[in-house]
Amino acid sequence: MSMSAERDDELQDELLRRVVDELRRPVRLDPTLDLRVLRAIREPAPARPARPWLRPAWVAAALAAGVMIAVGLQSRDRPSSSPTTVASPAATPFAESTRPVYLRLDAPASSRVSVVGDFNDWDPSATPLSPTGDRGVWTVELRLKPGRYHYTFLIDGRRWAGDPSEPRAPESDFGAPVSVLTVS
Amino acid sequence: MSDSDAALVARTLDGDLTAYAALMARYRDGFGRYAYHMLGNHEDAQEAMQDSFIRAYRALKDCREPDRFGAWLFRIVVNRCRTMRRRLLRHRRFDGDLPDEIPVADHAPAAFEWREEIARALARLRPHYREAFLLRYVEGLDYAEMARMTGAKEPALRMRVKRAGDQLRELLRDVHVG
Repeated sequence: MSMSAERDDELQDELLRRVVDELRRPVRLDPTLDLRVLRAIREPAPARPARPWLRPAWVAAALAAGVMIAVGLQSRDRPSSSPTTVASPAATPFAESTRPVYLRLDAPASSRVSVVGDFNDWDPSATPLSPTGDRGVWTVELRLKPGRYHYTFLIDGRRWAGDPSEPRAPESDFGAPVSVLTVS
Repeated sequence: MSDSDAALVARTLDGDLTAYAALMARYRDGFGRYAYHMLGNHEDAQEAMQDSFIRAYRALKDCREPDRFGAWLFRIVVNRCRTMRRRLLRHRRFDGDLPDEIPVADHAPAAFEWREEIARALARLRPHYREAFLLRYVEGLDYAEMARMTGAKEPALRMRVKRAGDQLRELLRDVHVG
């Protein structure tokens, strides 16, 4: 008798069969778990990510939208419906330590957008984008120190979207599109 | 055709993190289901899986049978769940708590209630019973595999599985939705 046949024979009880059928249903975990693991093993210091952002509400399915991020020193002359990099303003009193970074997202069918990355400990509640009033356009301003950051966008708490105008990180290959941003 | 576990382990050891990402994607939800049922909620299950993946990566060179990476990783997950459960018990009452998350909510109310009652009953089992029941019937391990994984003797495991079934049957008899 095979192991599976033996196991099934043990489950003659109809009630237990129903219990097991229910328990065998798929359970989907937050796919950003993989990102956090990669981040942890890339950086030798074993700092455990804070738990508050490991929220069940993260586990879900899909929505899509086009994403744009804007970072850097120069504008990219594109229409608002396409990926755009917006110029940083002139130097501010903070300029010696941080740079203003403008993120822009065109996601007309979305109700909630945030960005997660090395700059906010991959916390989806830390950096929401705000609607601008233009239909479907979301923006946020960050202040980042010069450096290299991995990041991605989260749309409606469900869908990842990378930045099409920035290079992808190697981790992008497993599903969550991670982009690399360099602030100089 | 996807790469074998052994190939992905080899690439990971050569420094290719995308290979490890592929391994995580392969096992995240499957083993996460076990962690979820053992710990009772998504949050703790995710923490257990995250810790397990990090520990597995750091110990990967000690994985002597890379073609059986899944079994090796699952042993880490099982142990991690045990450790976390003990830690959770120090901070809150776990057994008998109703898990605060239901995996999928796209079914009729009766099915939802049934799932909730199962979760509640499962949480009331003694942890060793719950572990044995899940390993045997949900994860599909045979008793020899379970013995290697848990360190318990096969007769003890058979008894745990039986008692878990008896208790679940008793707990769910009156709430069974036909």
